[in-house]
Amino acid sequence: MNITGVRDAAGAVAAGAQTPAGVQTLTALAFLIAWQLIGMTGSILSELFPPITEIIKSLWHYLTTPILIPHLYASLYEVLGGLLVGSLFGIPLGILFGSRRSFMQVMEPIILYLAVVPKIIVFPVFILFLGIGTHSKLAVAAIAAFFPIALLTITGMREVRPVFLDVARTLGASTLKIATRIYLPAIAGYVFTGLRIGLGAAVTGALLAETKIARAGLGFMIVEYYGQFRMADMYALLLFIFILAALANWGMKALFSLLLPLPRSSENVAAFI
Amino acid sequence: MRLGWIDPFFLASPVQAIGVLWSQLVSGNALYLILVTLYEIAAALLIATVVGLLVGFVLWRYQLIGASYELFLAALFSSPVILAYPVFLVFFGRTSAAVIVLSSFFGLVPIIMNTKSAFQHVNPILVQVGASMNLSRQRMFRHILLPAAAPTIFSGFRLGLTYILKSVLGLEYVIQVGGVGMWLSDAAFRFEVGEVYAGLVGTTLLSILFLFMINHAEMKVRK
Repeated sequence: MNITGVRDAAGAVAAGAQTPAGVQTLTALAFLIAWQLIGMTGSILSELFPPITEIIKSLWHYLTTPILIPHLYASLYEVLGGLLVGSLFGIPLGILFGSRRSFMQVMEPIILYLAVVPKIIVFPVFILFLGIGTHSKLAVAAIAAFFPIALLTITGMREVRPVFLDVARTLGASTLKIATRIYLPAIAGYVFTGLRIGLGAAVTGALLAETKIARAGLGFMIVEYYGQFRMADMYALLLFIFILAALANWGMKALFSLLLPLPRSSENVAAFI
Repeated sequence: MRLGWIDPFFLASPVQAIGVLWSQLVSGNALYLILVTLYEIAAALLIATVVGLLVGFVLWRYQLIGASYELFLAALFSSPVILAYPVFLVFFGRTSAAVIVLSSFFGLVPIIMNTKSAFQHVNPILVQVGASMNLSRQRMFRHILLPAAAPTIFSGFRLGLTYILKSVLGLEYVIQVGGVGMWLSDAAFRFEVGEVYAGLVGTTLLSILFLFMINHAEMKVRK
């Protein structure tokens, strides 16, 4: 046995563990192993920690059978519909409120203050008007998506410097040209960030509303599994939702950076919502 | 509204909603609910602040740990964690404790992140001045690092509080436990439309009042 070789290998592993990626991998592994051990022995709160293998089995079941398709369809309809409605109101209103300093001074604080109110509490009113089907959740998603989209559009409009407009007018640019050549490039990055954060808000709003009262949807299924105490199935579903949300977020980021090569730092504004 | 265009079954008039809100306030019922909500917010904020400051400090002090776990936290924070609330119901039952613990998570992350970045971005000149004055480690921390980091930490605190506020009220409504949110859910369940709108107005006012107070406090700190 070559002792130096072993020592080198051990050293390499130790050095690897000294990097962030190493620590992350080790933590994830330790977490999974600990969970699996607790789950297998059933020593601590066996109902709360089902074995990882069961969760993965359940996740595999979701991915390979059409069991979740109708619920996925309902949730997608609510989230995407909500995002659409939210942006149909949020972008034009954001442009309008951001276009005049006086509008902005009145409207921005109002929107900022209302943004802090949890949108889910409007749900009972939407139920009264739209029933307990998908449309009341779509409305919650829309109102949740509206705020980040409107706020970031306003912020983008504020970034347009008056100097640019003066220069454009001096050079005789038409209103259309000012809109497409000055405003559009200035606010596009902010609107994109607003849409991405709005999507996250719409997912949370719609699915949370589904857990309250619904007939279908991924959020509805979470509560169904909880009610039947099928914890492994519930964790698998949560994992499924988290992965979908992360993929959507990542996909939008990639798409927008493709459309808009210049990165703009609008994340700190987004921290508000 | 007065013209009778909309069925009063769906939409209570503002006068009616304010009336219900007022009578609930006077009877002390709403006051009790508000106190429960405030207690939950305060408890969640306390947990988030204590744990957040500690963890944020550790993440800054030990760079390897900081670089490793910041990503985890950010990823977790951007996922719809609130949907995992049934897990907390299993653990704590349908109690305020479930609301408090889950809500404290949403306050925790911004406080951790801001604490870490606050210490990271302390002006190195200040630290050099401290070093040239031969300050001990404790005094360096107490007189240089902490005051320099305080404003950023405070904005993390403010952000954390707004997230906690949102989460506490939302969760109260969804799992029908605790204070103001529970009242709203209960009223909706009984189809008491006037009460629903009163609860809605009350919750909105409470949120706005909170944000107003935080903004005010922040301006004082920055002065």
